[in-house]
Amino acid sequence: METATLVQTIANSVVQGSVYATVAVGLALAFGVMQMANFAHGEFFMVGAYVVYVLYALGGVPFPAAVALAFPIVGLLGLATERFIFRPTRDNVLSGFMATAGLAFILQVLVGQTWGVGLMRSIPTPYMGIVEVGDVRLGWQRLIVVPAAGAMMGLLWFFLYRVRLGKGLRACAQDREAAALLGISNNRMAALAMFIAGGFAGVSGALMAPIHAVTPYMGHAIIVTAFVVVIVGGMASIEGAILAAFLLGFIHTFVTTVFDAVVATMVGVAFMAAVLIVKPSGLLGRVKA
Amino acid sequence: MGKALGLAALTAALCVAPFVVREYYVEILILLLINAILAVSYRLITTTGDWSLGHVVLMGVGAYATALIAKLLGWSFWASLPLAGFGAAAVGFVFVYPLLRTRGFGFFIGSFALAELLRLVWIKFHDPFGGPRGMIGIPPVSVGSYQFYDAIPYYFLTLAIVALSVWIMYRIDKAVLVGNVMKAVYMDEALAQSVGVNAPKYRTIAFTVGAFFAGIAGALLAHRLGAIDPHNFDINTMVYLIIWVVVGGTATFWGPLIGLVVMTAVFEATRPLLEWRPLLFGGILIAFLIFLPGGIESLLAKIPPLVERLRRPRLGRRTL
Amino acid sequence: MLEVTGLSKRFGGLAALDELWLEVAAGEIRGIIGPNGAGKTTLFNVISGTYRPTAGSIKFEGREIGGLGPSRIAELGVIRTFQRVALFGKYSVLENVMVGRHRHAREGLWGAIVGSGRRIEAANRDRAREIVDFIGLGAARDEPARNLPYGHQRALGVAIALAAEPRLLMLDEPVAGMNSAETLEMANLIRRIRERWGVTVLLVEHDMRTVMGLCEKITVLDFGKKLAEGAPREISENKDVIEAYLGADEFVA
Repeated sequence: METATLVQTIANSVVQGSVYATVAVGLALAFGVMQMANFAHGEFFMVGAYVVYVLYALGGVPFPAAVALAFPIVGLLGLATERFIFRPTRDNVLSGFMATAGLAFILQVLVGQTWGVGLMRSIPTPYMGIVEVGDVRLGWQRLIVVPAAGAMMGLLWFFLYRVRLGKGLRACAQDREAAALLGISNNRMAALAMFIAGGFAGVSGALMAPIHAVTPYMGHAIIVTAFVVVIVGGMASIEGAILAAFLLGFIHTFVTTVFDAVVATMVGVAFMAAVLIVKPSGLLGRVKA
Repeated sequence: MGKALGLAALTAALCVAPFVVREYYVEILILLLINAILAVSYRLITTTGDWSLGHVVLMGVGAYATALIAKLLGWSFWASLPLAGFGAAAVGFVFVYPLLRTRGFGFFIGSFALAELLRLVWIKFHDPFGGPRGMIGIPPVSVGSYQFYDAIPYYFLTLAIVALSVWIMYRIDKAVLVGNVMKAVYMDEALAQSVGVNAPKYRTIAFTVGAFFAGIAGALLAHRLGAIDPHNFDINTMVYLIIWVVVGGTATFWGPLIGLVVMTAVFEATRPLLEWRPLLFGGILIAFLIFLPGGIESLLAKIPPLVERLRRPRLGRRTL
Repeated sequence: MLEVTGLSKRFGGLAALDELWLEVAAGEIRGIIGPNGAGKTTLFNVISGTYRPTAGSIKFEGREIGGLGPSRIAELGVIRTFQRVALFGKYSVLENVMVGRHRHAREGLWGAIVGSGRRIEAANRDRAREIVDFIGLGAARDEPARNLPYGHQRALGVAIALAAEPRLLMLDEPVAGMNSAETLEMANLIRRIRERWGVTVLLVEHDMRTVMGLCEKITVLDFGKKLAEGAPREISENKDVIEAYLGADEFVA
């Protein structure tokens, strides 16, 4: 591979990794805190993209505002999912997971019937123009994902390690019974985790809306990748998810450049299968999947 | 006695059905029969406590196997059918072997990973799988010079094969020394192992046999549709299989069939709702998982004691 | 019959078993006692194959079984019961015991399909019925196991193990949670089992009266090591043993 291509691919990988990280971190958080595996996480991403579509493309709301609003909107969706799906099935992880498969169907239909199925919605790119550094060319739209992701990770870190409520999440992830005995409400923590998970997924979808084809089914591609990342990183580990996100971002981008996207997905999935077989707890995980 | 009568009635109904309904419904019935093998074979796997997300892909293995054998080798259906089954069983074995070290959610998502990997192979390689477009021009089943092209003959062919398959799986399930052992592995694996039951071996047997019959279902599907592509075997279809099994229940052999029949009926009845259907199905799945996790059969199980209670006169009360 | 040599089991940095040496002769009823955390259940779990030994060897009837899987070890005749209630809840008492007979009554797929195992199944059922009657649960034969009272459930656990025709029967706290009447019944049962079938019995228990009354020889563990070994009387007068239990009111002489 030529140096120019190599550097470009590295740059693309960083962007890709950032996207994966924002999507996967929420999933890892929800699973870590209360064993909630959300099959509809890809649909959360999709709803985030539609928030931008409706508010920005249709409604004229400024892009950053639309993206910011995606957090609470999809966060609320996460909240509802916790309350109505995960809480009643809390004793059975598999049931909850299967039920969210049903939720995925529901969200796809609701969005599709409201704003149309079929042809992809194209959203005007708010940040046109390309950054050129040496031989590397990156569209602004893509580039902003990196600092956005960084900011979100930073905020999350701060929340989990410096804010009382966030520490409660970590306590719950370590031992939910002990946390309950200490007065940390399992219900509250589960709801909070899902709110954050939804919010993160929504914002990533929102950021990607101008780049991806926006359809009710765009969640499909994301969900596989999200689970690959989270499993490889360790189902309950956030640091693992971030690490795995970038690792897989690199692998995916490089393989796509050398071969194609299908092969890249195959490699990712094969990697996940290998991890599940060799070290089921993932690269950084302690909890068995 | 009642069982034999019920079975006879059912057989009669199944034999008469294709002649009394419209051609469209015969096609539905054929698909229903094929899905019946899928549902029952999936339940066989859940007997040992393993829930997989790869079952529909295993059906795909059978479908692709039979398509390849028919198109590239030109062998007859009677060779390609068992080969489709064994092919799917072999792939099933390769899938389950590494997954034996996990249970529950890990098994679920691991099986999804391996199955999706295989499905991507079908998408990637035009040669020989036809890539995303899949394979077309699968020749119809033929016996001598007769071709099973029309719906009704194919219906009876399918019926015969399905009946045999379901019977075999029923025998395995009922056999106290096999079926009971598999369920014991699910109920308390440590206890079963403490008396010499090789749990991994039985899980493997259940999975491989289930895969075999999924392959058979795939072969029947391929020859009926005449064309297959990777989308036939994607996660959407898998979720529908899960819906049948959840709605029907897995405690008894007949549960998944009940779920299949009910949901197929609902599917047909809601045809006018077309695009809203997945929403309805998603809602039904959620509702059952939360409110009736044992499925319809758990409701049916409550009927005999209820009838018993209603028949017995209440103590201390005179009927006027 | 059972030879444990230099057996160690470590979990991370913790040594649950520390170079343990143990020998059980055929036909013995041996008790394993010790304060909580001494390693008794770990010992059982390592012998029965649930855990792999970190070091050392376990020989059963001259054959090395350390590191084998639990079902393989069970097949060789080492059958254990569990501290918890371990049953096939939905099955009847009889069906539970029938599963226990797996070692001696098996069937392959082909046999299941064509139904050739019918004779084996019938013989199996008879043997299972014998065992159910021997244990004293004959009346509850068709009752779902989960409906039984606690004491009967524990007895059923022993019945299932018995059904496997063990050569070495390992009982993990068989009288845990039982009242004095049930405890006596269980102790009698264990004696009868040894009389009737000559089974070697290895017993982990906290109830001192039962252990002293039932076992011919007792091994005391503490911190994963063997503290003392000998006849019940010797053990009850052993100073180290008394000290190990000091403060714990389990030790009722």
